[in-house]
Amino acid sequence: MGSDEEDFVFHGTPIEREEEIASRKKKAVAGASGNLRTLPAWKQEVTDEEGRRRFHGAFTGGYSAGYYNTVGSKEGWAPQSFTSSRKNRAGARKQSISDFLDEDEKADMEGKSLSASSQFDTFGFTAAEHSRKQAEKEQHERPSAIPGPVPDELVAPVSESIGVKLLLKMGWRRGHSIKDVRASSDARREARKAFLAFSTDEITKETPDSLVSETEAETSLGPQFNEDIKNSESTPVYVLNPKQDLHGLGYDPFKHAPEFREKKRSRLSANKEVGFRKPLSMKESLFGPKSGKIAPGFGIGALEELDVEDEDVYAGYDFDQTYVIEDEQPARPSNDNRLRLTSKEHDVLPGFGAAKNSDYSMERFNPPKIPKDFVARHKFSGPLEAETKPTVSAPPEVPPPADNNLKLLIEGFATFVSRCGKLYEDLSREKNQSNQLFDFLREGNGHDYYARRLWEEQQKRKDQSKLTLDVKLSPTVQKMTAETRGSLLGEKPLQRSLKETDTSASSGGSFQFPTNLSDTFTKSASSQEAADAVKPFKDDPAKQERFEQFLKEKYKGGLRTTDSNRVNSMSESARAQERLDFEAAAEAIEKGKAYKEVRRATEQPIDFLAGGLQFTSGGTEQINDTGVVDMKSSKTYPKREEFQWRPSPLLCKRFDLPDPFMGKLPPAPRARNKMDSLIFLPDTVKATRQVSESQEPKKETSIEEPEVEVEVENVERPVDLYKAIFSDDSEDDEDQPITGKIQEGQEKKNEAAATTLNRLIAGDFLESLGKELGFEVPSDVPYQEGIKPIEEESKSRSKPEDSSDKRLDRSGLKEKVEEKRSSLILGSEEEKSRKKREKSPRKRSGGNDLSSGESSGDERRRKRSNRKDRHRNNNSESDSSSDYHNQDKQGSRSRRKRRESSREKRSSHKKHSKHHRTKKSSSSRYSSDEEQKESRQEKKRRRD
Amino acid sequence: MSAAAELPTKEAHILKGHEGAVLAARFNGDGNYALTCGKDRTIRLWNPHRGILIKTYKSHGREVRDVHVTSDNAKFCSCGGDRQVYYWDVSTGRVIRKFRGHDGEVNAVKFNDSSSVVVSAGFDRSLRVWDCRSHSVEPVQIIDTFLDTVMSVVLTKTEIIGGSVDGTVRTFDMRIGREMSDNLGQPVNCISISNDGNCVLAGCLDSTLRLLDRTTGELLQVYRGHISKSFKTDCCLTNSDAHVIGGSEDGLVFFWDLVDAKVVSKFRAHDLVVTSVSYHPKEDCMLTSSVDGTVRVWKK
Repeated sequence: MGSDEEDFVFHGTPIEREEEIASRKKKAVAGASGNLRTLPAWKQEVTDEEGRRRFHGAFTGGYSAGYYNTVGSKEGWAPQSFTSSRKNRAGARKQSISDFLDEDEKADMEGKSLSASSQFDTFGFTAAEHSRKQAEKEQHERPSAIPGPVPDELVAPVSESIGVKLLLKMGWRRGHSIKDVRASSDARREARKAFLAFSTDEITKETPDSLVSETEAETSLGPQFNEDIKNSESTPVYVLNPKQDLHGLGYDPFKHAPEFREKKRSRLSANKEVGFRKPLSMKESLFGPKSGKIAPGFGIGALEELDVEDEDVYAGYDFDQTYVIEDEQPARPSNDNRLRLTSKEHDVLPGFGAAKNSDYSMERFNPPKIPKDFVARHKFSGPLEAETKPTVSAPPEVPPPADNNLKLLIEGFATFVSRCGKLYEDLSREKNQSNQLFDFLREGNGHDYYARRLWEEQQKRKDQSKLTLDVKLSPTVQKMTAETRGSLLGEKPLQRSLKETDTSASSGGSFQFPTNLSDTFTKSASSQEAADAVKPFKDDPAKQERFEQFLKEKYKGGLRTTDSNRVNSMSESARAQERLDFEAAAEAIEKGKAYKEVRRATEQPIDFLAGGLQFTSGGTEQINDTGVVDMKSSKTYPKREEFQWRPSPLLCKRFDLPDPFMGKLPPAPRARNKMDSLIFLPDTVKATRQVSESQEPKKETSIEEPEVEVEVENVERPVDLYKAIFSDDSEDDEDQPITGKIQEGQEKKNEAAATTLNRLIAGDFLESLGKELGFEVPSDVPYQEGIKPIEEESKSRSKPEDSSDKRLDRSGLKEKVEEKRSSLILGSEEEKSRKKREKSPRKRSGGNDLSSGESSGDERRRKRSNRKDRHRNNNSESDSSSDYHNQDKQGSRSRRKRRESSREKRSSHKKHSKHHRTKKSSSSRYSSDEEQKESRQEKKRRRD
Repeated sequence: MSAAAELPTKEAHILKGHEGAVLAARFNGDGNYALTCGKDRTIRLWNPHRGILIKTYKSHGREVRDVHVTSDNAKFCSCGGDRQVYYWDVSTGRVIRKFRGHDGEVNAVKFNDSSSVVVSAGFDRSLRVWDCRSHSVEPVQIIDTFLDTVMSVVLTKTEIIGGSVDGTVRTFDMRIGREMSDNLGQPVNCISISNDGNCVLAGCLDSTLRLLDRTTGELLQVYRGHISKSFKTDCCLTNSDAHVIGGSEDGLVFFWDLVDAKVVSKFRAHDLVVTSVSYHPKEDCMLTSSVDGTVRVWKK
């Protein structure tokens, strides 16, 4: 107790403790608080809980053991007693782990079995046990009304848990629900429903549960009413989600993967609507919006960043049986059934019961009685038959009426009606009720004559049709009715049928009707037209006629009349041959109809007879635009081209083939360094520019002119730029413009010399190759050392290249367009490239932008370098002191440029490499020597 | 439909194991085993006739797009999204060599007849030939005349044939040192060579398979009916060259008559895109793989 403690007022009794213990404790506390920890390891002291030193040096007893560093106990070391006699054999003694533990270790061990102390054990068994004991204890002291020991079960005062105490302090009173009553009535109702649904067994019997439900029904009526009644109100919320799986209580298979919970729920709901499985968009939940299309389940490494190539092109598929293997509930269906059953059963309001027998009974009606004479088959009464029945008995012959006009009218009308059917008569009768002329339709003047006439006509017609139509009788009539009906309804008759009726009318007789009719009813009608247009056998009118006849019959659909009566002169084989021809021609005509604009077929009608194979191909020709396109494209494609290709000797060796180029000049030797090959690349930038121009054909003319000139002007590439990007580290120092442009000039010369040499060799090689293959080789352009001739050469070459470039690029554009249309994904690459294309809006933007943006920047750069080169050329010969300053400035500028560009290159390297479409445009300036090779090859092709 | 009866349209086995899309399924040389590879970065060796998974090969860093076995069944090669070509030992499951050099995903890979080189077709518009004999990891040859992604490669004894999205099927003949480019005008998805070696079948992205005469470059026949517009779906010929088989993006598999291009048979093989079809070299047996993660074995 220090002196400073005297100022304080102490409550309660101070704890008395021994001085030394306290000091030890202090020490221990100090140690624990970290004072000692700051000491180096070898100075720290390990103490036990009492503060005693735990370990000692070897000379002072080693580590602490037992009692105060001794082996024994307080009483000293006592060996374990062991007695074994003949009578009492010592059994094998079982040792337990506690035999070997120190007391603190034992404490530790005990600490493992954690249990809530009775104070905090709200619900546990221990609380009940404890309280029971308590009550038992009190029993003895307390005088009780009931004599004798009261059964424990009856009187069990529950000690209050800390939770209850806390709640009480917060204003909760016993018997009240903990929840806010007003807010949660709905939720409670829900919970109750779920509860009811879940624990249906209990409800069927009148158990407390149903009591609960009843009382709760009351609560829904008046919430204020139940305030004090209820303590069962606080229905556990977990009933909301009745447990339906087989997992352990409280086990959540989705604890660490909540995404799958959603998936499972949706699957469950999908299962309810049978069979429909909707593709789940789990990517959102899994990875967030950023990584839209990552294949589920296949994350990439932590060190890799998400890239376009990680997109899942197959997104939208449902990977069902993979991952989260959670046991499905085998008992579920039965459970479900029971639920459904009971819920049906308990559809009645609580408190009501379903009636055992109801007053309501379904009224049943007997089916109507079928009359005996009913035939279960509908017979369409054609107008003709309808008429023929009543007129079976011939009306008596009557002299025609005196009025000649009336007679004619009656006769005409009778003919008409006989043709068109009784319907027409009825109609006209109605129509002309007031008309005096048509009195004969009613019981007026001339009716008898009309009846007779009509009958006669009908008889005549019947005979005729019997004569002509032994196969089908009705069509004629039907056709006529169709037409008349059409005309009656004010329909416009079809052009075709009109025409045909005309022709048939001209040829006269009703014989023509069947053919016409079948024509109109079978699809061939248009073929008639086509046959009109296409006369495949123009030069042989007889044959043509036969062909037309054949066509007619082909599409007539009924029995086919033999044409033997007509073509008697032909032999059987010839006829067969002709028939084949006809078939082919007809097919061709029909096909030709599909793409009407392709009139070529009609121009050379005989041609498609010659190549009989054509007709068999493409049986599934589609009659739409694509069909036309295909037709057209198949004309141009496939296109075969041949190029030189040089397999490497090793490749030939591996394939066990002799090298076709063995002993020949090696391919143009690889450039000394990458720089050389780059410098004299043909301008591929130009190409892409034209692509974009042709995309905007309106602006093309205005823009192209100046650009072409510029291109011609700029032949040399900015060497420094390439160098900055591609040259090796070793060259970097000589690259620096400050260290010496003389040196640079020298190098320049060297390069020029080297490339010219390469060119010469390549030219030689090409020439020899060309001769070998029998191609015409353009005469050699005389090369000279230096830069100028090359400039000239490329100038001269740039013109024809332009046109060919354009052509090439158009096709390229077409491809692009087509590609776009078909919206390739193609194993993610295509989409990638498309995206990239979109990402680089500069290249896609309008022509104006393009020229002012990219190309002008390009031009500027090139111009600058040009200027510089000119400078340098001068400098290499003359004294450079005057230019030095200027040069330096430019050098610094260009260095900046270089740095920028190299940075750009670094950052976009990946993109370029992936971006195959725009690669040509954007990266060709930085392209590698492989590209150069390619371009050289292209050039070669062009030259060929 | 006697012709259809000869076709393997009955499901014999389902090979399950791949997690996620299966991108290729290939028979080995004698047709006794099958290798499949997929999105889950694994290659699996199966006995398709018994439906047993034999071995799983893991080493790829990204999806595996194609796989091919040597004729002696000792080695195989694979390629995929990690831009490398792997050269594996079948029995030990170890990677013998990795060929790096492609500047993009590698779409297809093939051995030559003597299994001395591997030819790979890449997104970087190139075909690369890798040497298996020497220890060099540099490509023996780079063929970069393609204008766009090379989707598929086929080798004969003397030629390398590649099909590309630029619409061409290019044949590189080593005997005469020529490149024959057949421009089809449509992106070529997959090429496959007839067993007699005279024709090449090119699956194009306009939902059309085209049969080309290899010597003249003439278009012999066109097969339509399936859907192939945006995914890499395979096509092949039966071992008798009587029928053309093509997978469709709606999960169907189509059989056409080679000569008159009629759809002889079509049936639903999978729920989702059929990525690959492979025909047994001798028997009437077919493998199909799909995005739905299954490989199915079809027999008569």
